[in-house]
Amino acid sequence: MSAPAGGPVLECSGIRKSFGDHAAVKGIGFSIAPGETYGLLGPNGAGKTTTISIIAGLLEADEGSVTLGGEAMNPDATHTKRLVGLVPQDLAIYPDLGATENLEFFGRLHGMKGPELRRRVAEVLEIIELTDRAGDRTEKYSGGMKRRLNIGVGLLHRPALLILDEPTVGVDPQSRNAILDSIERLGEQGMAVLYTTHYMEEAERLCHRIGIVDQGELIAEGSQADLVRLVGHRDRLKLTATGSLAATAAALGDLAAVDDAAVADDGITLIVDRAHDHLPEILAVAGRTGSLVKTVDVDSADLESVFLKLTGRALRE
Amino acid sequence: MKPLSIARVNLVRFFRTRSAVFSVFLLPMLIVLLLGAMQGGASNPKLGYVSAGEDTFTLELFAILDGVDGFEVLEIEDEASAIRQVERGGLRAAVIVPAGFESTLRSGGDVEIGLVTRAEQEVQGIGDVVNAAITRQSILLRTARFATQKGAGTFDEALAVGEVAQETLPPVSVVATMAGEPFVLAGLGRFDIYAQGMLILFIFLTTLNGASHLIQARQLGVTRRMYSTPTPVRTMLAGEALSRFSIAIIQGGFIFIGTSLIFGVDWGSPIGATLTIIAFALVSTSGAMLLGALVSNDQQAGGISTALGLGLAALGGCMFPLAVLEMLSDTVYRVAHVTPHAWALEALQALVTEDAGVADIAGFLLILVGYAVVLGLLATWRLRKVLVR
Amino acid sequence: MGAAWTIARKDLKQRLRDRSAYIVGIVAPLGLALVFGFVLNPLSDFEFNATYAVADLDGGPVSRLFVDTVLANAEGIKVIEVASTDEAEALVDTEVSPLGGAGDTETADAAIIFPIGFSDDVQSERPVTIQVIGNQGSETNAGIAVALVEGYASELTSVRVAVATVENLVQEEVDRLAMGVEVLQTPNPVTLRDDTASTKQLDGVTFYAAGMAIFFLFFTVQSGITGILEERRTGTLARLLSSPITRSSVLAGKLLSSFVIGLVSMTVLFVATTYAVDADWGPPAGVALLILAAIVSALGLVSLLAGFARSAEQAAATGSMVGMVLGFLGGTFFDVSQAGGLLASLRFASPHGWFMQGLADLRSDDLGVVVAPVLAMVAFGVVTGAIGVARLRKGLRP
Repeated sequence: MSAPAGGPVLECSGIRKSFGDHAAVKGIGFSIAPGETYGLLGPNGAGKTTTISIIAGLLEADEGSVTLGGEAMNPDATHTKRLVGLVPQDLAIYPDLGATENLEFFGRLHGMKGPELRRRVAEVLEIIELTDRAGDRTEKYSGGMKRRLNIGVGLLHRPALLILDEPTVGVDPQSRNAILDSIERLGEQGMAVLYTTHYMEEAERLCHRIGIVDQGELIAEGSQADLVRLVGHRDRLKLTATGSLAATAAALGDLAAVDDAAVADDGITLIVDRAHDHLPEILAVAGRTGSLVKTVDVDSADLESVFLKLTGRALRE
Repeated sequence: MKPLSIARVNLVRFFRTRSAVFSVFLLPMLIVLLLGAMQGGASNPKLGYVSAGEDTFTLELFAILDGVDGFEVLEIEDEASAIRQVERGGLRAAVIVPAGFESTLRSGGDVEIGLVTRAEQEVQGIGDVVNAAITRQSILLRTARFATQKGAGTFDEALAVGEVAQETLPPVSVVATMAGEPFVLAGLGRFDIYAQGMLILFIFLTTLNGASHLIQARQLGVTRRMYSTPTPVRTMLAGEALSRFSIAIIQGGFIFIGTSLIFGVDWGSPIGATLTIIAFALVSTSGAMLLGALVSNDQQAGGISTALGLGLAALGGCMFPLAVLEMLSDTVYRVAHVTPHAWALEALQALVTEDAGVADIAGFLLILVGYAVVLGLLATWRLRKVLVR
Repeated sequence: MGAAWTIARKDLKQRLRDRSAYIVGIVAPLGLALVFGFVLNPLSDFEFNATYAVADLDGGPVSRLFVDTVLANAEGIKVIEVASTDEAEALVDTEVSPLGGAGDTETADAAIIFPIGFSDDVQSERPVTIQVIGNQGSETNAGIAVALVEGYASELTSVRVAVATVENLVQEEVDRLAMGVEVLQTPNPVTLRDDTASTKQLDGVTFYAAGMAIFFLFFTVQSGITGILEERRTGTLARLLSSPITRSSVLAGKLLSSFVIGLVSMTVLFVATTYAVDADWGPPAGVALLILAAIVSALGLVSLLAGFARSAEQAAATGSMVGMVLGFLGGTFFDVSQAGGLLASLRFASPHGWFMQGLADLRSDDLGVVVAPVLAMVAFGVVTGAIGVARLRKGLRP
């Protein structure tokens, strides 16, 4: 079941949503073409989950419009919801039912039934590689298996748009790779995908276009190449370090060669002009300001640097 | 003092919930109030009296019935209401006196008085009582009837002569005295009986419900986390046990004091009552620990603890006074004493009806402690195995 | 509504795998009903039973008449004849149960003593006294004894008065004894008519079977509706809301599963108690209507509570409180209909009260008596349910 060819699968504009005093989404708008994988990249609390809740019809936007396959989307638009497949961040599967039972249940809610449903369920189980354990209660699955089933349920009804909200959080590296592989395959098969994450590498690997979100706003959008160009030919320098990171980052930011410096989850991220020339200086400053540097990683600019440049903060704090 | 800190945390968490405050403090009082208002204890059977008129004979009959010991006679407005009350069990029987009771009889007619009873209940005794009352009342009437039949004179003549005769003749009198012991519960106020039963019921029920807390902790892995700190299992168990015990004491103490103050309940010797509460609280604690060890799902535990709490209370005589159970059936009385509840109630009852002191109830207290020890040992054994799984 | 049914089926599947559902829905109420029934069974067979000790020191015809005719013909009375006043007193001066239950030593509820020369004194118009000693421990039975003796005394007085009156009127001597007998044989113008009323009270066993069933019903149906809160917790609510189904069908599905669970639970209890402990719920049609109405009221209440709760746990805790209060008020644990006054009326504030009264009234076999209770319970359910469902619907967010 896919959208009529030729138009964007998803079109949303001017979306605003507040919860009491807190404005979670302040005017986000983008579109996704058929077969495109679009990433929403941003730190926790940026408004990604709220945005996709609105797109999936779980919440009503205060302002703005969402159109899926040309049809308007809102919590009451049951007809439009058939075009969306949701893979929420929190596992949305029943622990006391088996994989098959979970799939069949949600399939029925989508109007599938009988042999057609059963065939499709078997198909999906193959795709997510759970055919062997399909009868066991999901509470007995490993975390990775649960995540795969979570995705499987989203795919079951062949949606026009698959929405995945941070599908790899807390997943072991092996399962993570498997998940990313399958999403890549889905993209190749022509499914439109909306993918939110705060892992830059995933966005880089999977997405045709990326929208960078921070504090409820879409601050940049484009392919990876487009975005990186915003940073110019700067290097991205990553230090893992311990100690007084905040002080060190501030001091480093004062250096001439350093464009931006911010504390990341396990160290400091910097955008530097010609990193190798300025390494000794940087390390000296670190030592002087009470940080112990453990590893140094130099790379050309990437999405993290883009984020850092645009917001002055690290993607993962 | 690790166990104390564990207990304190548990207590704080427990009393923060609205439902805890309700079920520990409000609910027991509400129920004692409800029960007391229903006139606890053995009460006399009720006889309804419905009369269409207020002539002398009708009033006289009422007075005679009212004077019978062991029955309560109530004036009921109308027949339909009386019948409904008999149907629903509010009245044991109802006497229906028709209109014109006096006038019909004076004019020589017969009168039928209705006695409404339920088919399946044997109410011979009541029938006799009412018959006797009627007989007493109709002495003169019979005389007049008889004399008329014998042709000795007219109805009115006979009545007049008969009245004189009745007054002058020496009476056939009945002298009634009482001996023996009054029913053991007769001395108790209407709140007293049920206060005892509810005290025991609630201590046990509330404490047992706390078992689900222990299970939740296991489920959440909290105890496993505690175990990874240098806290021996011993200490954790002690902490949990202390938590349950504290709640039991608080529940028991509250009902004890609350009913004394609000309902004027007499508990007998305060020391005796306190010791009984403590002993029973120990039993409840052990019971709760054992339940927490045996059941692994806290939702199940809720249902089980409620069922057990209510069931054992019923068996043990909390809802129907032990003394009543004793007369009803030996089997029931014996089965009741399998529960610790019955023993606690025996102690409480003795404190009030027999003015017993601590020495007198020592035996009961020892039995309760015995229960606590046995249950406690079982619980400890099982919990050690299960706690860190 | 296919979606609602799909959701309900899924819920029921989950419920079937949940052991606590069986415990709360079947085991607990059945167990308690059995316990209560066991404890109460002796109480429900009320039969009048009294033991009277008689010391007929006279042995004459008048005292013999009482013992051999009046007492002997009275049902339920056991007579112990003794030779002396002391013996009679001994039997009464004991501790005994008002209901005349089992005891090891022989006891009497009352002692009746006819003095020497009784019969002669009666016939010769001399003052006579019959002594009755009642056992304080059996006030009612003792009272009956006194009443019986007083009745007999009245008969004797009737005879005396009648004979004296006739003598006076005809102004000649009569054969006192013969006339006395005649008097006794004259029917009393006032007679007692036995009116049998139907029974509108549940017997002990049935009372507790039904009481426990409806008490636990309010706990059993919680799982379906508060399940919405659970779905929010497990994250599956988001999926339900993003599926092409209406919010109403989500709620309808939950209500439906609660309904089915409640119905199954009540039916099982109905059948089980009927066969296991001989509970007599009454004519199936009336019982079915009452049960259905009770389920509706339970669904309404639980919806209301779920609508205002923040989590499934909180809903369950509040539900327990409310369930308990309504259960006690409604008379599922004690028969409050006997309480009289405010309490007896208060029970109609609780659907439990309507249910129990409906069943009690149904004993008289008149199906019409269920109309009021059914309407009351349905109204309760609809009003609370409307508020609850409206609130749940508004708050239906992941």
